[in-house]
Amino acid sequence: MPVVKRRSSLIRSPQFSSLVILMVLLAVFAIADANFLSPLNISNMMAFLPELGIIALGMTLLLTAGEFDLSVGAVFGLAPVVVMLLVQNGGFDIGIALLAGLLLCIAIGAVNGLIVTKIGISSFLVTLSMLLVVRGAALYITQGFPLKSWDQPGFFVTLLAGSFNIGTFRFYTSLWWFIGLSLLAIYVLHYAKLGNWISAIGSNRNAAVARGVPADAVKIWLFILTSVLAGLAGMISAFRISAASPVAGTGYELEVIAMVVVGGTALTGGRGTILGTIVGALMLRSIRNGIVLIGVPGLAYNIFVGVIILAMLILHALLQKNAARS
Amino acid sequence: MEVLRLHNLQKSFGSVRALKSASFTLNEGEVVALLGDNGAGKSTLIKAISGVFPVDRGDIYVRGQKVSIRSTRDAMDLGIETIHQDTSLAPDLSIARNLFLGREPVNLKWLGVFAPLDLAKLRDAASALLKRVGISKKLDADALVSTLSGGERQSIAISRAMQFAAKVIILDEPTNNLGVEETHGVLRFVKEVRDAGHSVLLITHNIHHVFQVADRIIVMRRGEIVAEQTVADTDLLTVESIITGADMSALLREARAK
Repeated sequence: MPVVKRRSSLIRSPQFSSLVILMVLLAVFAIADANFLSPLNISNMMAFLPELGIIALGMTLLLTAGEFDLSVGAVFGLAPVVVMLLVQNGGFDIGIALLAGLLLCIAIGAVNGLIVTKIGISSFLVTLSMLLVVRGAALYITQGFPLKSWDQPGFFVTLLAGSFNIGTFRFYTSLWWFIGLSLLAIYVLHYAKLGNWISAIGSNRNAAVARGVPADAVKIWLFILTSVLAGLAGMISAFRISAASPVAGTGYELEVIAMVVVGGTALTGGRGTILGTIVGALMLRSIRNGIVLIGVPGLAYNIFVGVIILAMLILHALLQKNAARS
Repeated sequence: MEVLRLHNLQKSFGSVRALKSASFTLNEGEVVALLGDNGAGKSTLIKAISGVFPVDRGDIYVRGQKVSIRSTRDAMDLGIETIHQDTSLAPDLSIARNLFLGREPVNLKWLGVFAPLDLAKLRDAASALLKRVGISKKLDADALVSTLSGGERQSIAISRAMQFAAKVIILDEPTNNLGVEETHGVLRFVKEVRDAGHSVLLITHNIHHVFQVADRIIVMRRGEIVAEQTVADTDLLTVESIITGADMSALLREARAK
């Protein structure tokens, strides 16, 4: 009875339990505060969601390959700072400045990837050091001050942070970026040859290498991809608020990793799910938004976020144990 | 008919001469056991053949043609497949995806690594393969490798090597950590592989297993091949004494005398 078997494996899959919990959370918040599902609040959540969500897509692929990147929050801060400095102080065209920002992100990712794969240092240590280097660079070149606000409409600004209305909802183009990149990531991880390689590398690197899979090259490209996505998210955020700050994105690395693992991707590599990551991103965004709405004191809300994440992880562990037993 | 011939292979790591000189021939449809204590040079030898690192000196011939093996990919393309106990399968992938890892059937080939997997072909080929090797009744091609037993994993890895028409299958300690029944299953499978015309180079510590499946025995000690005998012409004690360098039968006689 393959149909029954498939259904039960769907219910046991980590992204399904995450989805159920997301529904429960949304229901609780909606009941506790009528404003939670108001157009304004949904528009607000959808404005913030892509910024961390886009980084989480790259992080999911990287984690599935068995590595992770702590420098994404710092790259999120540095990329727009460099771009805006080039435009404001250097007098460069915005297109050229963006290209320079892109190259910078590629370079940061490549350095991460090369040190991890060719010298063999754990990605935890390499990217932790990179976090300090990149954040330090952002602080130094700005002397610690946020940049002047910069608000000149143009093609690139509309492309990254334009907004449009659907009825009473206001959406940013960043949502399209997130949806498009999500579909691409789902395709790559679950349906393309590359996804097979990524999962195999994270599951058993030696096995993959023995089959001729270029594990180091794949990892280096994933580090580059993650860095570029972090920079893109930083640009989207900076253009949305028309300002770049050297401390933007502080602590994002852990929040992004939380989204990914809450969605059901294994921290140890080999098992990744993009759908789970989207659910995880929605979950953390609505938790942050919802607990403020229902009146949890601002300073206490990290406690709630932490507890809910822990509860999620415990649930995944229990579900997995059950699955292994049956 | 000769499939693989090694001539005077040498390999040093710094001042350590891991492989002083190794020459032997592997014939078609033959199981040759490679024996030796830890540090005898067995793994250096098989790593050289399977393309993990290049040799310093010496030649490798496949079917009489001199070849150079610079990567695991080169070895695979020449029909040499190496199977290590724990490093041959990815546990989080399905059996089907493991069987074709690195050689995935795809549509739209021009997309390179972004080409979509031909999932139907993947599944059908995997099922056909499992059926051919006689383990389809128990195993579903979509099952994750992490749900399989050690013996089943070995069988999957070996059938993958057969699938790609490997001329030479190198088995590195295939029965380590396996239960008695599973060990017999794997050994039976090795015989089937030989009968299907593949040549097997079997690396193991367990001399009893060697006498069950091998046609010939090659013994290494301190980086050199010190003995080469057909199984019919030798016995367990003789082989054991060659491995350790001590005269085991003499020791046994002494022990009995006491």
